[in-house]
Amino acid sequence: MKLMMKPKMINKTIKDMSSLHQGRMSIYRQVGFIFFIFLFLITPKTISAQTFTSDKLKIQFGNFNMGSGKQTGGGYSLTNTTGQNAPGQFSNQGFVLKSGFQYIYDNIYPFSFQIDNLNINFGDLTPDVGSTASNNITITTPSRRGYQIMAVANRPLSSTIGTIIPDATCDSGTPCTESVSAPWTTNTAFGFGFNATNTAGIGTSAYFTNSTYYRHFASLSNQETGQIIMSESKPVKDSSAKITYKVLVSKFQPAGSYENSISFIAVPKY
Amino acid sequence: MPNFNLSLSPEQIEYVLKPGITITQAYEVTNNSDNAITISTEVLAWQPSGNNGNISYQDVVASPNIIFSLNNADIKLGQTFSLAPKAKQQLVLKVSSAQETSLEDYYYTFFVTQQSQNTNSNNAIGSQATGKIGSNILLTVSNSENTSIQAQINKFTVSPKIKDVFFTPLTFKAEIKNNSQNFFKTKGTIIINKNDLKIKELELNDNNVLANYSRNITCKDQDTCTIQAPFWPGRYTATLKLDESINAPSANISFFVFPFSIVAILILFLAIFLTGFKLRKRFIEK
Repeated sequence: MKLMMKPKMINKTIKDMSSLHQGRMSIYRQVGFIFFIFLFLITPKTISAQTFTSDKLKIQFGNFNMGSGKQTGGGYSLTNTTGQNAPGQFSNQGFVLKSGFQYIYDNIYPFSFQIDNLNINFGDLTPDVGSTASNNITITTPSRRGYQIMAVANRPLSSTIGTIIPDATCDSGTPCTESVSAPWTTNTAFGFGFNATNTAGIGTSAYFTNSTYYRHFASLSNQETGQIIMSESKPVKDSSAKITYKVLVSKFQPAGSYENSISFIAVPKY
Repeated sequence: MPNFNLSLSPEQIEYVLKPGITITQAYEVTNNSDNAITISTEVLAWQPSGNNGNISYQDVVASPNIIFSLNNADIKLGQTFSLAPKAKQQLVLKVSSAQETSLEDYYYTFFVTQQSQNTNSNNAIGSQATGKIGSNILLTVSNSENTSIQAQINKFTVSPKIKDVFFTPLTFKAEIKNNSQNFFKTKGTIIINKNDLKIKELELNDNNVLANYSRNITCKDQDTCTIQAPFWPGRYTATLKLDESINAPSANISFFVFPFSIVAILILFLAIFLTGFKLRKRFIEK
């Protein structure tokens, strides 16, 4: 007997088979879902963390910071931490918790101070003609409070027999002291002085208006303490100044060797 | 050429300690130069100088009840020691407060000094320079971790008080006076309002205000506390509010913004228009 099926019946049969197939698939999906839930429940959970242990301590890192840094441009400065669970600064009575790179990045370089040449030698002096020598000081501070640099000499430039080249008092009419600078351009104002300058006057202009301004060193032998010659109130990296030393003697200055010791003292602002 | 190139870390420590307690702090000093050097250590007391965080060592007498020493086995405080090129040395500073120490603040600097190497030739005229780098120590001796703070805001000003909508920025200044025996940090904000709506908020840098001294405020990410133009015309108020723990009443000021430049430009255009109109009228009359 030949089985004859009409097109409508064929469509119906296909639909029935399709719904049966879908029903089976749905059951497979449900079984699969339950299986994975079961696996999730019985298998141990692994979290991304790092643990260091010793006999006395155990340090657990809850997360890995996968990226961090500070980007700057013409009109922006952006710090970022990627991977930190809860970045921010949290504080309570007795503690401050800084979580995330941007809360500690200002500490990634230490407080540093540099003087590029410690020997200041004027060579032979000619009376009534000023002689200069120089060195450079450079400072780095991570503190947003900034820094101050002070200078002090142990004594005026002195010979072994006690003769001194006096401290500079700068041009007559505009006297300078160990804490006040003033122009020193004439060749009739004798003495030993210095200034601190840099191209933009950053950190120094409050103490030396320009490179014609000088003052003399505070002197421990006169019971004076170091005077500030450069300061800023922000974090700086490699902020530098040129120290120019100037000596001008008269023809009555006894010949000989004249020396002293100068200390540059760098401290952070509090 | 002999040089000086030292790093010292940390650059500042702040501790609250009870009388009779000893603490230790590790410092790391690094010789960044290419020469072996001889260095020594010392601790000096200081006091604030001015209101900008500067320090002065002039005529400061150290308390005999705060005693410093080095905990290193081979180095004593004040003793010289050598440091090879690019080498680091850990220095462990021990700070002890005697039982009879007064309950107040004590401020010191831990210094590392490079010893002078006189290499100037005989019969020379010149100076031998040397360097010194310091790290500040702020100590509060107290029986309680939570010290009582009393402060006040002085000289809260804005400049200019009357300004144009464009051009010059507005700069806020204030001085925080510490009326207590212990230092605190200038936590707080300047809130600028117009018509009771907050326009801008500046967060203060948490600078230390030392006991019985004053400190000028600075704001985060800038040297001063400044906001840039333009501004809408009108009356503004600014409130400087410190953290509640500081116990300082907030301070208020007001300032005005006028459209001077816009009015000036309009007057200029009007004058040009009227002049042109008059010239045209005369030309037609002729």
